[in-house]
Amino acid sequence: MFSLSLKAENISKAYGNGRSSKKRRYVLEDISFEVQKGETLGIMGESGTGKTTLGKIVAGIEKATRGEIFFAGNSIEELSKIDYARFRKKVQIVFQNPEGSLNPKKTVEKSFQQVLELIGIPTEKRGEVLLDMLQTVGLSEDFLCRYPHQLSGGQNQKVALGRVLLLEPDFIILDEPTSALDISVQAQILHLLKEWQAQKEIGYILISHEREIISFMADRIAVLKEGRLAFTS
Amino acid sequence: MKKPALPRQNGSAQKKSLSSLLAVVLFLVFFILALCANIIAPHDPWERFDPYLPPSVEHWLGTNDLGHDILSELIYGSRVSLLVGLGAAVLATAIGLCVGLFAGYYKGVTDEILMGITDVFLMIPRIPLIILLAAFLKPSFWIIALVIGFLWWTSTARVVRSKSLQVSEMNFVLSSKCLGFSDKHIIFTDIFPNIIQIVIPKFMLTVAAAMITEASLSFLGLGDPSMKSWGMMINFAFTKGGLINALWWWFIPPGLCIMFFVYSVVLLGYSLEEKEQAVLGIS
Repeated sequence: MFSLSLKAENISKAYGNGRSSKKRRYVLEDISFEVQKGETLGIMGESGTGKTTLGKIVAGIEKATRGEIFFAGNSIEELSKIDYARFRKKVQIVFQNPEGSLNPKKTVEKSFQQVLELIGIPTEKRGEVLLDMLQTVGLSEDFLCRYPHQLSGGQNQKVALGRVLLLEPDFIILDEPTSALDISVQAQILHLLKEWQAQKEIGYILISHEREIISFMADRIAVLKEGRLAFTS
Repeated sequence: MKKPALPRQNGSAQKKSLSSLLAVVLFLVFFILALCANIIAPHDPWERFDPYLPPSVEHWLGTNDLGHDILSELIYGSRVSLLVGLGAAVLATAIGLCVGLFAGYYKGVTDEILMGITDVFLMIPRIPLIILLAAFLKPSFWIIALVIGFLWWTSTARVVRSKSLQVSEMNFVLSSKCLGFSDKHIIFTDIFPNIIQIVIPKFMLTVAAAMITEASLSFLGLGDPSMKSWGMMINFAFTKGGLINALWWWFIPPGLCIMFFVYSVVLLGYSLEEKEQAVLGIS
């Protein structure tokens, strides 16, 4: 069932000035894991342990001090331009703060349209694809003309997820996707995520500090503590 | 039953809204004067009447040494002053915006190089350089606007850079990066619309600075003699005996116009800045 994988190998991340190791503070040290398509890896950890930093590194939007990320067996540092563009589409991230995930100056429609343009959907088909996606994420057409501040946290998160899903990703890094939402919306989003995973075989790296959410979603669980990752049974 | 009292603006807020209103009215008055100078001015500014005439019904602000109607000169002068101010501010803001956006977004070496260049420009003594350039180049108000524009972008660049640094770390920008949007797309459609509110007040303040510089240069005799600007009017009043002979109607009105226009622009700039701070929740 599992074929394509996303792998982190010996990832370390240090902050601070200077080349000397004494002046640097390592927030992540020698972290390695592998996620297969269709699988959910849950990463737990207290606030400030570097979970978000790890998520950004795996998504390729932040550089690690040491270590490499492999997508489909190839280091993302060594990918050709075409392969990197493929990686960019296939590995996505959804952030914790739903309001901050969308440009406050763009309507929902504009946010979607730009992604549709990016992935090369012909203009005449964009409306149809957009309506399909709205239906998938459980939003009505009325939301299209609204700005992020006119939406609730859950609705914003659905728009953010919808934009990501348009790219048909193989892996999504979910950085506390429901922590800012109330419990009923949390359940709704988590069920949607499970449904999409079953349909599209998406691999998730779910980052959270809530044990219940991780237990509900994850096939494997790892705990991030003092910069190191330990797998639990 | 006693009606509940309506919420009232406190004194400071009322003062602020009044000064904003005054700024808008003053700005519009000068803008309309410049735009419709040929309709509003009672005479052609180059038409000759008797020289040194005091204010009268025929010439509300009298005439100068060449017999030109001062009120008409003043109205036409607003065009040059505004054009120099706006032209220089557009150029300075465009340069400052690009430098600040690229430095703030790319960070690292790009940031260091661009901010290094900004520091060099900050160290240039601007007024002496403009005087030198104006003395060597053919006096023209376009050249003055260009030179001011090329020298006045530094503070805009610094402000834009610091805001871009902040915005480029926001999740929606990171999401755009992850979705695969190009840097150009992210800079101009994600970051730029979210920093525009700090650029507008900077633009207004640059208009004011450029107008004062143009007036100073014209007063020093380095302006464009073929165009009538407020600074040039004061220069002529000074060099042709207006000041010595106390012909107040010749030099006070252009001075007041410069003062009120700059005042309105600065006030507008501050009002917009305060509005932005209120949106961000900074008191």
